[in-house]
Amino acid sequence: MKLRIIILLNKLITLVCRLLGRNASVFPASLVLKLDNNILEKIKYPKYVIGITGSSGKGSTTSLIAHILKENNYKVVWNKSGSNLLNGIATLILNNSSILTTKIKADILLLELDESFIREIFKKSTLTHLIVTNITRDQPARNSTPESIFNKILTSITNDTHLILNGDDSLVNQMTLKHKGKITTYGLDKTIYSINTPISNNIDAAYCPVCNKKLNYRFYHYGHLGNYKCYNCNYQRKLDYKGKKVNLNFSEIIIDNNKVHLNTNVLFAAYYTLAAYTLCKIIGLKEEYILKSLNENISKPKRMQNLKLDNREVIMLESKNENNLSYLQSLNIINQYENNKTIILGFNNVSRRYKYNDLSWLYDIDFNILNTDNIDRIFCIGRFRFDIAARLINSGLNENKIILVNDINNIIDMLKENSTGTIFTMVCFDMTEILKNLFLKEENGENDEN
Amino acid sequence: MMKIKIAHLYYDLLNLYGEQGNILALTNAFNKQKINVTVDLLSIEDNKKFNKYDIIYIGSGSEENLLLALNDLKKDTQEIKEYIKKDKYFISTGNSKDLFGKFIQINNSKYKALNIFDYYSKQNPVRIVGESIMGFKDLPPIVGFQNRACVMQNNYNHLFSVINGYADNYKSSYEGYRENNFLATYLIGPLLIRNPHFTDYIVKDILIKKKIKFKEITDTYEYKAYQEYINNFYE
Repeated sequence: MKLRIIILLNKLITLVCRLLGRNASVFPASLVLKLDNNILEKIKYPKYVIGITGSSGKGSTTSLIAHILKENNYKVVWNKSGSNLLNGIATLILNNSSILTTKIKADILLLELDESFIREIFKKSTLTHLIVTNITRDQPARNSTPESIFNKILTSITNDTHLILNGDDSLVNQMTLKHKGKITTYGLDKTIYSINTPISNNIDAAYCPVCNKKLNYRFYHYGHLGNYKCYNCNYQRKLDYKGKKVNLNFSEIIIDNNKVHLNTNVLFAAYYTLAAYTLCKIIGLKEEYILKSLNENISKPKRMQNLKLDNREVIMLESKNENNLSYLQSLNIINQYENNKTIILGFNNVSRRYKYNDLSWLYDIDFNILNTDNIDRIFCIGRFRFDIAARLINSGLNENKIILVNDINNIIDMLKENSTGTIFTMVCFDMTEILKNLFLKEENGENDEN
Repeated sequence: MMKIKIAHLYYDLLNLYGEQGNILALTNAFNKQKINVTVDLLSIEDNKKFNKYDIIYIGSGSEENLLLALNDLKKDTQEIKEYIKKDKYFISTGNSKDLFGKFIQINNSKYKALNIFDYYSKQNPVRIVGESIMGFKDLPPIVGFQNRACVMQNNYNHLFSVINGYADNYKSSYEGYRENNFLATYLIGPLLIRNPHFTDYIVKDILIKKKIKFKEITDTYEYKAYQEYINNFYE
């Protein structure tokens, strides 16, 4: 009885929040969980409860899976808003549960999950499947080390959970040594973009997890993702699903001998597309239906917004601070663009979760990728603009290309006067909003009035 | 032509918090003085010949990687002692400082460390995380960040006095270890980028000993970033 009341309450609070124009995706459960913090154990779950976790790429993977499943007429409940902590997920689950049957009204519950909160959300083995996209240095002030993220994920599940792992990541692949339940791995064959040596030395998985000898990498895709083997004990990458012949010019990849479309022409799209394909195959969706949803009814990628400044395109890439892979993905997108370009970089606060401003991670990111002729200017913004400028110069970038923006309100004029080409912003959440508003204001002509 | 030789020790194991930035900082600081620098990347099973270097740098890593490094470094203990005796620079940041004491107690196990100094480290019930501001001689304050599992005891030869943030342990008001030019601190990350005055202090000392003139150059983004941080977070 109490369970039904809590579901009802959650729905009512959500309704009130919406009527008041407030964000209703997290707040309701923060109240009702106080009445019973074991509530999520009592809900009746559908046949498939699928989690997607990892240091980066979980949002893109989740939304592509949701797209395929919905195209194939599954009723899917998923955290579209990206709220991946306890209150956000509890709000979602309770709002989609029936008051009468206390059952989630869906065939599949699909959740992007923060690595550290899986245990807090699901206290027993609720997850039927868990995809792990990658593990890297990520917000060390709360996650400390990649090894600690690994342990948090592994201790959040039981052997009943079917793990779907990015086998190109040796850290993730170590789960195959410990997990006794079902495991499926996926990864990418060597591509024309593969590199033989890592760009920098800050590799997270240089040594064999079995015998501690140095791993031999035949190639790297990016970061520490690649094809590794230990010549001492034979620990090596083994893939069940392999993506082949990635071609970013044609936005395509070959999976199971079929051409599959990538909804963005960046390498990490190959990963989330392959992960989504693998998961859908595992839960029994037919190949032809998966291909149809990927190749014909294409889904738009999130986290990339396009605006205009005069006749110049503005491409807003969100990069997560304290996460080198997230920045690396943005750098690769920028690098692939061959024409003249200008970049905006910076942040006011390192984190929106805690007050610490640790700057160490800036030196884990391969900013030397930006050392190319077709970059006209790099604008450094925010409270740590000098730190970013110092980082860029230490990466070998030409000092004349760097412009410091002391007052963010002047950036539009400065861009117009001092830069050319397509504008890329690769900033964190706080600056994305500020910049977006400034560009929109300019687009609407509000600055011309005076 | 004189060259400064730097070794980045365990560059692929103890390089968790952007610590390769410190190698860039040292290299650029010497280059500004028109001095060439060579950097050797050293790791497990490499033949280490410490004596040929002017500066040896070691950064922080996961607890697992720290123990791998410890196991590898044991055979070099005597050579490290001699290197330190010669007044050469050995810079250790983050938890690598634990390696040089008597023992490291972590994950319910006690590991014999290199036993070069008398201090020892024990895992704290919670990780110690936060910003720190330290005093060093008469230099402007040193800024940095800590993220570690252990506290240190039995340390009587301090590097820094703590102005703000965490000390070696909860009872101490000092942090880090210094003997001759062995400088060790729990501060992590690109400490030498963020504190260009501290880097220049080291560079100046090395150059003067080699009878080379040191030129003060402070018109850099590193100095501006330092000042901006002090303005925003300290004064």
